[in-house]
Amino acid sequence: MGGSGEALAAPVPSVPLDLSVDLGSGLFLRNPILVASGALGYGIEAEDDLAPERIGALVTRGTTLRGRTGNPAPRMARTPAGLLNAIGLHNPGLAAVLERFAEQWARWPLPVILNLAADNVGEFAEMARRLEGVLGIAGVELNLSCPNANRGGTLFALEADSAAAVTTAVRRATALPLLVKLSPAAPDPRAVARAVADSGADAISAVNTLPGLVLAADRSRPALGAAYGGLSGPALRPIALRVVHEIATSVRIPVVAMGGVTTLSDVLDFLAVGAQAVAVGTAAIGDPGLPARLADELEDECQARGLSSHLSLIGTAQGHRPGNPSARGAEYRP
Amino acid sequence: MSAEPVAAELVERRVILPDQRIDAFHAPAIAVSARAGQVLQVLLADDEGLVVRRAFAINTVDPSTGVISVHVAGPARADALARLRVGDRAPLAGPFGRPFEVDPRTTHILLIAEGAAIGRLRLLADEALREGRQVTVLLGAQSARDVYPSTLLPDEVEYVVATVDGSLGHPGSVADLVPQYEAWADQAFAAGSPALLGKLAALSASRLTRMGVAKLGRRRGAAKVDPPGSPSARRKSFLQVVVELDVACAAATCLGCVVDGHAGLLRACREGPVFAATELSLETVA
Ligand SMILES: Cc1cc2nc3c(=O)[nH]c(=O)nc-3n(C[C@H](O)[C@H](O)[C@H](O)COP(=O)(O)O)c2cc1C
Ligand code: FES
Repeated sequence: MGGSGEALAAPVPSVPLDLSVDLGSGLFLRNPILVASGALGYGIEAEDDLAPERIGALVTRGTTLRGRTGNPAPRMARTPAGLLNAIGLHNPGLAAVLERFAEQWARWPLPVILNLAADNVGEFAEMARRLEGVLGIAGVELNLSCPNANRGGTLFALEADSAAAVTTAVRRATALPLLVKLSPAAPDPRAVARAVADSGADAISAVNTLPGLVLAADRSRPALGAAYGGLSGPALRPIALRVVHEIATSVRIPVVAMGGVTTLSDVLDFLAVGAQAVAVGTAAIGDPGLPARLADELEDECQARGLSSHLSLIGTAQGHRPGNPSARGAEYRP
Repeated sequence: MSAEPVAAELVERRVILPDQRIDAFHAPAIAVSARAGQVLQVLLADDEGLVVRRAFAINTVDPSTGVISVHVAGPARADALARLRVGDRAPLAGPFGRPFEVDPRTTHILLIAEGAAIGRLRLLADEALREGRQVTVLLGAQSARDVYPSTLLPDEVEYVVATVDGSLGHPGSVADLVPQYEAWADQAFAAGSPALLGKLAALSASRLTRMGVAKLGRRRGAAKVDPPGSPSARRKSFLQVVVELDVACAAATCLGCVVDGHAGLLRACREGPVFAATELSLETVA
């Protein structure tokens, strides 16, 4: 309790705070903190812990046109500072997802972005078409870390022309806000990002997981049923930060950054390299209330710094631009 | 997610075997409701602030003192719990998962475990003895070095060991010991590798025929099928298995914990970790 002297002191003028984010095509977020795809399923299951009224958006689990049963168990393994997962797009299929959840999403106080996955361009576009007129879907995110069946299984996200083809087809199929999610495994993320931006994406999500391997305790086999899995969590963060830095300096559309965010400091790092918004994946699996707390902490941070929005925190570390893309090497370049 | 975490004090730590220990916590709220087969979660952040929920088998429970112990297996490296010292507190959540279900008519129970998986069955021995049942534990290990100390089991338990290298007890697999006890046991409970569980499931499926017991009479109408995960499905089965539940959201959202069931994929954190052997496609795993 403050003494009478404090009570009489003039209140600190509080700056009206605006943390909203415009991701394009009418997708506005109340704040720049999202839940990344795969962390909390379709959101409904984790509603109580999630505090949907306090976060910017929820990105759903990866959804395919027809249901998939996913990879054999085990599907997750711990790694130093992270997780290795090979869920394998286990989902009931687009129609079932819409039937089960869309109505609830429409009543929800936060935008839901549907994450889509497919192994060919036509199927991506077909799914986008089926979202026409469905209430409750605020936008779509294309997971381009999927093998392209027509390119011998090379991930869409690794090649600029494949990434552009999917983006173009989906852009033609829907007017919904369109996020395209890129892979940190791309040899030149800048080229892929530019191709995607030129093909009509409203925003870019970066990054997805990076392939890794963990062995079973007795070294007789891989720990995961699918052998390789995607590495996520803090172990991925420096790579994600580099990729977001590269992308944000290469395109004009907003970047939603992710990769190992666990604290406000990580959020500020991603904003500093040019992200407009930041998503929490792995850390939200163990702690579904974290995204809402990070949003609160960001608000407090802006208030403490006397800022009226988080915009001045964006891009502060972009001043020093590297002369070459990472594709030309980093540590051994003269 | 259910149960809010409680700050529980680590009151004792016992290293029982290389890379295996028992950590005891003072957590009265959890101790009053914990049952065999369930797990506890420790919500400790690593150095990077990342909380990966780890689930540990509940080993012993003493509701009178509020002390509950968990069996921790695996290298201490990368184990945030290992850094905890006696006297420190850690956020504990649980108990999670569905417990073993013993048929009220059962008088003889058989516990079958491989290596550190005995930790997942240990509490059932206490529960069964308290209810006046007879308990036999069959344990399989690589060698004598890896055998769970008999001093950690109640005196009333019959303890039979098999080692792969033959250095103690029966030389070979613990599954070899099972046929001797099949007629004696009313119900069996198992924990171990998918290969062992597959073998045991096959033995259990052919048990009545091998024992020469015929099922007489004709059932009228379709037999009632108990939904996977229901207590009755477990209670009625001869063999119940408990699968490992390690990395977990415990909220049925991440789909990281699935096991293959006859009726489709089942989430160990929601429908398990204890299942009737007949609910799982164990044969295909083996
Ligand atoms: C269990 C799990 C499931 C995931 N599922 C998907 C998915 O279905 N689609 C997708 O685009 N990304 C998926 N991701 C990737 C995350 O959305 C995120 O891009 C990545 O994990 C990096 O962020 P993080 O370190 O905060 O987790 C998944 C990640 C995890 C850990
Ligand atoms: S532990 Fe996440 S679904 Fe079971």
